[in-house]
Amino acid sequence: MKLNIDGLLVYFPYDYIYPEQYSYMLELKRTLDAKGHGVLEMPSGTGKTISLLSLIVAYQKAYPLEVTKLVYCSRTVPEIEKVVEELRKLMDYYTKQTGAKNDFLALALSSRKNLCIHPEVSSLRFGKEVDGKCHSLTASYIRAQHHSNPSQPVCQFYEEFDSVGRQVPISPGIYNLDDLKDLGRRKGWCPYFLARYAILHANIVVYSYHYLLDPKIADVVSKELAKKSVVVFDEAHNIDNVCIDSMSVNITRRTLDRCQTNVETLQNTISKIKETDAAKLREEYRRLVEGLKEANVARETDIYLSNPVLPDEILQEAVPGSIRTAEHFVGFMKRFLEYLKARLRIHHVVQESAPQFLKDIFEKVCIDRKPLRFCAERLRSLLRTLEIADIADFSAITLISHFATLVSTYSKGFTIIIEPFEDKTPTIANPVLHFSCMDPSIAIKPVFGRFQSVIITSGTLSPLDIYPRILDFRPVTVASFTMTLARTCLCPLIVGRGNDQVAMTSKFETREDFAVIRNYGNLLLEMSAVVPDGIVAFFTSYIYMENIVASWYEQGILENIQRNKLIFIETQDAAETSMALEKYQEACENGRGAILLSVARGKVSEGIDFVHHFGRAVIMFGVPYVYTQSRILKARLEYLREQFQIRENDFLTFDAMRHAAQCVGRVIRGKTDYGLMIFADKVSKLFGKKHANFSLSFNCYFSPQRYARADKRGKLPRWIQEHLTDGSLNLTIDETVQLSKHFLRQMAQPFRQEDQLGLSLLTLEQLQSEDMLQKIAQIAHQA
Amino acid sequence: MASLSEEVLLVVKRVRQRKQDGTLYLMAERIAWGPEGKDRFSVSHLYADIRCQKISPDGKAKIQLQLVLHSGESTTFHFANESTALKDRDAIKELLQQLLPKFKKKANKELEEKNRMLQEDPVLFQLYKDLVVSQVISAEEFWANRMSLNSVEHSLANNKQQEVGISAAFLADIRPQTDGCNGLRYNLTSDIIESIFRTYPTVKQKYAENVPHNMTEKEFWTRFFQSHYFHRDRINTGQQDIFSECAKQDEKGQKSMVNQGVKNPMVDLLSLEDKTLDEGYGTAKVPTTSNPSNKSLRENSNSAIIKRFNHHSAMVLAAGLRRADAPSDQTSETSSTDGNSRDSDFFQPPLKKVKLQEAIEYDDLQGETVRKTIALNLKKSDRYSHGPTPLQSQHYTTSQDIMNSISIIQQEMRTYKPRLTQVMSSSAASSAITALSPGGVLMQGGGQQIINQLVPTDVQGELKHLYTAAGELLRHFWSCFPVSTPFLEEKVVKMKSNLERFQLTKLRPFQEKIQRQYLSTNLTGHLEEMLQAAYNKFQAWQTRRMMRKT
Repeated sequence: MKLNIDGLLVYFPYDYIYPEQYSYMLELKRTLDAKGHGVLEMPSGTGKTISLLSLIVAYQKAYPLEVTKLVYCSRTVPEIEKVVEELRKLMDYYTKQTGAKNDFLALALSSRKNLCIHPEVSSLRFGKEVDGKCHSLTASYIRAQHHSNPSQPVCQFYEEFDSVGRQVPISPGIYNLDDLKDLGRRKGWCPYFLARYAILHANIVVYSYHYLLDPKIADVVSKELAKKSVVVFDEAHNIDNVCIDSMSVNITRRTLDRCQTNVETLQNTISKIKETDAAKLREEYRRLVEGLKEANVARETDIYLSNPVLPDEILQEAVPGSIRTAEHFVGFMKRFLEYLKARLRIHHVVQESAPQFLKDIFEKVCIDRKPLRFCAERLRSLLRTLEIADIADFSAITLISHFATLVSTYSKGFTIIIEPFEDKTPTIANPVLHFSCMDPSIAIKPVFGRFQSVIITSGTLSPLDIYPRILDFRPVTVASFTMTLARTCLCPLIVGRGNDQVAMTSKFETREDFAVIRNYGNLLLEMSAVVPDGIVAFFTSYIYMENIVASWYEQGILENIQRNKLIFIETQDAAETSMALEKYQEACENGRGAILLSVARGKVSEGIDFVHHFGRAVIMFGVPYVYTQSRILKARLEYLREQFQIRENDFLTFDAMRHAAQCVGRVIRGKTDYGLMIFADKVSKLFGKKHANFSLSFNCYFSPQRYARADKRGKLPRWIQEHLTDGSLNLTIDETVQLSKHFLRQMAQPFRQEDQLGLSLLTLEQLQSEDMLQKIAQIAHQA
Repeated sequence: MASLSEEVLLVVKRVRQRKQDGTLYLMAERIAWGPEGKDRFSVSHLYADIRCQKISPDGKAKIQLQLVLHSGESTTFHFANESTALKDRDAIKELLQQLLPKFKKKANKELEEKNRMLQEDPVLFQLYKDLVVSQVISAEEFWANRMSLNSVEHSLANNKQQEVGISAAFLADIRPQTDGCNGLRYNLTSDIIESIFRTYPTVKQKYAENVPHNMTEKEFWTRFFQSHYFHRDRINTGQQDIFSECAKQDEKGQKSMVNQGVKNPMVDLLSLEDKTLDEGYGTAKVPTTSNPSNKSLRENSNSAIIKRFNHHSAMVLAAGLRRADAPSDQTSETSSTDGNSRDSDFFQPPLKKVKLQEAIEYDDLQGETVRKTIALNLKKSDRYSHGPTPLQSQHYTTSQDIMNSISIIQQEMRTYKPRLTQVMSSSAASSAITALSPGGVLMQGGGQQIINQLVPTDVQGELKHLYTAAGELLRHFWSCFPVSTPFLEEKVVKMKSNLERFQLTKLRPFQEKIQRQYLSTNLTGHLEEMLQAAYNKFQAWQTRRMMRKT
């Protein structure tokens, strides 16, 4: 249908539309008009992606000079591919409606592992291996060697692309990962470098967060993207952690050992090259003196990981004299390495800031701040000069150099924690140096600064005001849309007690309690008898799940559950878990029904959807608080309080709630789907008593009556909160079973389109009526 | 009625049938009943027709006897003589019990079945009349083929019965009981044993290897109950245990399953993340802790439980599917051996595409629900587009050829220019049009509807019968080839003569009849062709046989 969104003609590739999609597009249009940033929350399964794409594509077509590019960032590879497929659908619709040939170029970009078509390289299993092998076939000096010595293997796909691929831009169209590979095979071009080249002139680019947020990669891939781009971060509820991860470094004793080997190899190579080709080293030295770091514009294939600091922090000066010659630099690295080794040889935990660390290193081994800052840059230059083929081997020394550069560049927002052993095993020495970023705004700052519109969107962003605070940006629009429903297809229930009235809680003190575990087990058992097809259960941590499974096994609860459904359990091994997941789906598919025991914050909870019969109920055992004893977390909380005035417990609750909402949100996709959402925790007691810092009662987030005005403080997204009534709070297991039965029986009734029409589903005519527009505006304003 | 001359064995008075009083007679060959005061029998059954007798249970008010006939009908007699009713009924029952078996031999089940088939299937009945009654072939020959067909169908229907799946909790159903003196008793049923064997083929293998040569069955199961199958938290310790080997095999199987990876890319956690952080970056825990050496025993046993539950569930699921898949797998295997299986890949969209499409679909936003189509899974697309082709002709056109020729024709049509100087004269054109219009010279003898109108319906019906009969005979005939056994040789000769007899007794009279009615069209031409083809085949076969003999 063709929509009129605030004066903009939008092609929407469906015959019907959800009211919230309309509101969403309206809000999005305003953000683009204002050339500002936006935070938009809309439940999963309401067609966020297609709304985003429809509107932005229409905007691009209407104002080609205002918005030149859409950069769509998503989290996982399947998500990326889904976005591209939705885009294809939209573009097909455009062609069908307008009759004009599609002149848009849209493509997905992924790592070499997903795009490589070289028969040897692509057969490798791990991304790192693929990258390394690719580098060893395509680096500029390898190719130069190939000229003089044809027996030196190179990648024929890259050669072909390099010689002809750049002249002709790839024809307009939608290219998913597989399409790129097909194209590459047909033309004999390397799809990865083709895609990387094509994103510069593509209208739409779909790739993962890292290509924009991780400075090491962003500098290589996304450096030249136009300023007039719209950047969308989908599934952005976890964006702060991605930012933090990309700037943090951990150094173990093993890293240092491997680094030691790296340094030795470098030394040997240098002395060898001195005998044979001393001119090369002299040339490098001359270049560094002149400060022409990138004089011979680094070829795209040479850079493995770029500078770990953000572009605006990189010094535009020449490399200092003390590390200019190769030997001096290696010596410098040796000294630095020895210092780190000494620091790891401690018996108590040390926490210090970056300036403290720099002071200490200056006092102990006389290493200045300035050469440290050039470490990453200098190492890169050296590796290139030495023509190191297998760059993946040098990951350890690269890591150390990145640490050096980071620690000397940023004085704020980072902390250094050295732990001599793990908390659980105080007898086993396993020293780790955590250099941890505490401020997610550091990594994302250049993105906000550079692009005219950045949209942060997800199904769970509540409370909305926290993201602008922790990411430090000023949005022009902040909105949350709820799911309009013709029938209440989601049923959140909070189970607080067992039938024996013993409170259920995953609170640390009582969670090993026999009665609690038994009640959890009984809940699952009862539900397995009532709910058809699939049930997904989430635990707060892996170790906790292991313990519970073991005691359920001893109590015979698992055996009883097996009478109703098959049991599959997430393990720490991703391959094994994938297997279990597939079997789980198979069991749901063939009618046996199954239960999947999984972990909140795990890979399953983040990346797998349990739509329709794959998840008719989801049970959260406990509230998924992050492990609060971790020093890194404590440091971060402290930083949040000092810098952003966010109270610790506010953040912890926010963090737990977004993960809980993520977990339960996995089961609902669309309005024809339905699912139970069971939170098994006597939550109001969880706070307050012993944990003084958890002073907020959980109930205040939930109970709509008492806190209707303080709705903003609700930490669960509105679309779940809305369906929480007083009657669904603090239930016993029996009551839960009764309510579930009732709900499932209702949901099992046929649900036709007519039931939805006019309420949660609109035709074009309905959308055009004045009444409806008012109604939609009214709903949207409640947010 | 000739009943008077029959020998009457027993007479019972005051027997009601259909609320009418009357008298029951048991005679030498039949049982009969006549209403009171009338001189004829309104009910009369030959003993041979009776399948069985039923009596009302003792203690019921009405004392009755029911006769069930082979035809399915039944007749009920009510013994109304209050004082002697029971005695009367028992007397009849005793006598019938003696009489019925004597007549039973003829009324066997097979006859019944045949009867039923003939009654249910009018076409078959007609065929029976045409062939057997007119003595073209014998009844045995007719049925020999039919019954076997039927029984095959029967067994097929039986096979289709659904397999019963395996309960996931079959091990839990073995409730151990204490026997009072420090021991446990496990109750195994054959169902449970079957479940175990189906779920764990390795156990079955071990059982076959060891029982009863190396140990008794009891010993085997005792060890089983001590094994990891039953105690999932046990980490196998004893090396001499036969099940530790099983555990290793299971583990290996599980590993290989894991290594194979998953088919559905949407659940593949390994390829979920696009760009995982390099080792050493990020705030996540450093994965050095997964060292098994510093794990406690408890943690080890916990992870063993989890692994075993996953394995168990996977095995149960696989066992349920294994049986169902077995036959279809076989067919796919046999048909894929001809090297043409690639075709099917071509027609089926890859799983990934399907899953992606599924994931982005909103069925309620879509207007009219697009009907989901099932992809045609062709093993041989050529065969599909050409239909069955005679085996001899090697030069059939491939779809590629057809496409080419179509495109050539299209091209030619595109460039086609009428050469107006060389068109035919208008008179020639109009004569051609008349010749091609209905009733024209060139349009004679075509069109089925004409035959429909020309031939009277009774002749049509007769022709149909002839076709079915000829078809049946020809089927018999052709089924003899290749003639590999002496029995078939004999049969083929006989069938040939049957065909000839059919032509003589059935076809010829029909042809004459048609001629008499002056129907010009040659209705029986095709029938004769079919017969001729059979004769030719027979001839060829016979000459070849002669040659081999000489």
